[in-house]
Amino acid sequence: MRKGIVQLVAIGIVLGVLVTLVAVLFQWLPTSASEEFDRIQDIYWFATVLSIVIFSLVGAVVVYSVWKWRVPLDDDADGPPIHGHTGLEIAWTAVPAILVIALGIVSAVVLSENGQAGDRPLQVNAIGQQFTWKFKYSDYGDLTTGELVLPVDREAKFTMTAVDVIHSFWVPNFGQKMDAVPGIETTILVTPTRTGEYEVVCTELCGLGHATMRAKARVVTQAEFDTWIQEKRA
Amino acid sequence: MTATHHDPPHEEYPAHFEPPHGPTWKLLFGAGLVRGGWMGAAGFVFGMLLVLVLRWWWSWEPYWNTEVILAVGGMVTAPIGFLAGIGSFDYWLYYISGRPTRPEDHTGHGAHTWKDYFRVNTDHKVIGIQYLVTTFVFFTIAGLMAMFFRAELAQPGLQFVDSQTFNGLVSVHATLMIFLFVIPAFAGLANFAVPLMLGAPDMAFPRLNALSFWLLPIAGTMFVASFLAPGGAFGAGWTGYAPLSEGQPLGQTFFNMGIQWAGASSIMTALNFLVTIITMRAPGMTFWRMPLLVWANFTTSLLVVIATPFIAGSQFFVMFDRIMHTSFFTPDGGGYVLGYQHIFWFYSHPAVYIMMLPGFGIVSEVISSMSRKPIFGYRLMALSLLGILVLGFSVWAHHMFVAGMADWLRVPMMITTLLIAIPTGIKVFSWTATLWRGRIHLTTPMLFALGFVTMFVIGGLSGIYLGSVPIDIAASDTYFIVAHIHYVLFGGSVFTIFAGVYYWFPKMTGRMYDERLGKLHFWLTFVSFNATFFPMHYVGLRGMPRRVSDYDSAFGDLNFAITISSFVLGASFVVFVYNIITSWVRGPIAESNPWRAHTLEWQVSSPPPIFNFDEIPQVVGGPYEYGVPGARHAVMSPAKEAKEAQEVHA
Repeated sequence: MRKGIVQLVAIGIVLGVLVTLVAVLFQWLPTSASEEFDRIQDIYWFATVLSIVIFSLVGAVVVYSVWKWRVPLDDDADGPPIHGHTGLEIAWTAVPAILVIALGIVSAVVLSENGQAGDRPLQVNAIGQQFTWKFKYSDYGDLTTGELVLPVDREAKFTMTAVDVIHSFWVPNFGQKMDAVPGIETTILVTPTRTGEYEVVCTELCGLGHATMRAKARVVTQAEFDTWIQEKRA
Repeated sequence: MTATHHDPPHEEYPAHFEPPHGPTWKLLFGAGLVRGGWMGAAGFVFGMLLVLVLRWWWSWEPYWNTEVILAVGGMVTAPIGFLAGIGSFDYWLYYISGRPTRPEDHTGHGAHTWKDYFRVNTDHKVIGIQYLVTTFVFFTIAGLMAMFFRAELAQPGLQFVDSQTFNGLVSVHATLMIFLFVIPAFAGLANFAVPLMLGAPDMAFPRLNALSFWLLPIAGTMFVASFLAPGGAFGAGWTGYAPLSEGQPLGQTFFNMGIQWAGASSIMTALNFLVTIITMRAPGMTFWRMPLLVWANFTTSLLVVIATPFIAGSQFFVMFDRIMHTSFFTPDGGGYVLGYQHIFWFYSHPAVYIMMLPGFGIVSEVISSMSRKPIFGYRLMALSLLGILVLGFSVWAHHMFVAGMADWLRVPMMITTLLIAIPTGIKVFSWTATLWRGRIHLTTPMLFALGFVTMFVIGGLSGIYLGSVPIDIAASDTYFIVAHIHYVLFGGSVFTIFAGVYYWFPKMTGRMYDERLGKLHFWLTFVSFNATFFPMHYVGLRGMPRRVSDYDSAFGDLNFAITISSFVLGASFVVFVYNIITSWVRGPIAESNPWRAHTLEWQVSSPPPIFNFDEIPQVVGGPYEYGVPGARHAVMSPAKEAKEAQEVHA
């Protein structure tokens, strides 16, 4: 029996290593360009570790059992009549409960942090309309553009609405997403941390041009941002 | 009332009632598909005239409104005419109108030729097979649609179809898979197995059972026929979010109404299961002796009857907005856009469990009998189903974390969502513990069951990611979701349907399927399934939204690989179809109990007698007592004694 446990653990470790390689050798997430996405990536890795452990555990038991106890189809004996084990059943009720509640708490904390707008966030209205985005800077005399420009390291608070149907605002590198809904206002915060060019993608099916409903998002330094504002307002 | 009122019709007709007319008369006016055809057409004309006359009466110009006429004539009165024509209502109409009903000579039971599958048949075993064949036909159609839009997605840019067709293909694919395959295929398997497992001669309401089946082809035809509508098929996704769905062309009405017929079908079946399970258990079959498949269908049926009216309501509201100019979901008239999503998901989240719990039941049967061990922790397995039932109603808004709903609702919905991992985990761990030290027979159904356990764990774990609100905000509405739902509904539900079909195939047909082809089918499916859907996690997280006909060229190579794998996945299904058809026609004759299982359906001949049990079984123990010396699930006592026992029991 001891030999069996060693073999089982060995299979589990092999599976665990394989899955871990899959998890780390590919870059599953886009490069984070916002504080919010940094925090989201932390939970992502928390969930990934959890998943690797659980998948390896279940996978190991299935593989080991089939390898060890497979019999020819014409075998007509029965297995041992084990009906259950109260301790085990309590354990696999309690342990997952603790793990998912831990994940829930961490998620709730991050969600709350990602919702703290700070003192004076840059106010941006994002308006979705089949099949374009419009961005309105209410701090700068309602300057309206088709390109999203944000200063780096400053919180931007998006207030969203839609003219016709539901759209969804997403910049993969910001990790934040929110639907723009006709009739109500929705909000989301983004604090860009990296200058560069990104893409605004509509992720809610909005009709024929849904796939092409995209806009450019540019994160620039505060100085560049000020210049851009002045040029646009001139 | 005298006794004669209960009985006389049976006296007035000979055992085999023949109408006093010739064969042509019988073909045209006897219950059947021919009468269904012309009565369906008559129903359409009636509905059309109804609309025209009413519009003329109130002077609504224009009198001719295609959408209204199609909604009323095409999708309400024509189907009712068809159902009346094939004879779904004959008995009830005779009864209501006071005419003598046909003597119940049981000619409605059993199938003696293939033609018996094409009429209103009240035998639960025939209905089970009708369900399964019909659902696999729609599975094929929906699968071909998937391969078609995968071909479009093989490269960025538009190659084969325009956006409306693409959106239509995606929407109809999902709608058919959900409403015409997974849900009814489970209903079909359960229809066949549950009464047998309970020791009952049939379902509680055989005529209602037949009617529930015949609503399905109606719903399916509507979904597929939407491609013929001007403007193309409904293209707002299977979720049909308002207000997009309200501005869609005519095809959307086909969705609104098709859902009503499919929903009515599942509600009726669920009621039937509930009454059957509660009232028709054999003597000695207590709840704690029921096989887990029965438990699973009991909980599923509760979900169906409670939740399904919500989706029916949501689609009626959308249709009223579309053709009656109400404004339930249009902000201009005071409507509330998110209201649609709340109502829709209040059904459609429980629907995920409607599409999963029966599979849990199937897998419990297969793993226990193929491992030759009692199911590990039987009571906790049953209780965890009830846990999922209760929790399942408190998580709907996790589909709406980025929808703009009330912020405070997100954390509670996240917690309940994550908690569902607990009963689900209990089930997975119990299945693996059932394998432990078993004597494992790696038959095709067992392969699919084990494939299910591992794939469902992946789908469950990606569900943990999505349950966490911050991660969901990043991953929502991307291909990550597409990957997740296919791990749950293909690696989960479809694998269990295959497991169930292979497992009960010998019982249904009396013949054995080809084990080698079965294994080939499994391995082809398993590998190509993973090659198709696993990379979708990646493209989704990296930035590819779902439901797009065109995408960033950076994802071109992976999408090409996904498309190729999806074609292999499609081809693997051909192996299944070939195996099933050839085995059904000329497979080796099956024994009555090839798996040496203990549940009741295996204690009768294959296929079972017309009324299932020549002797009424007396249940004396649990259904999975493998390896327990001398243990029996049931003894078959001569009918008379068992009947007395049943009366004492009652």
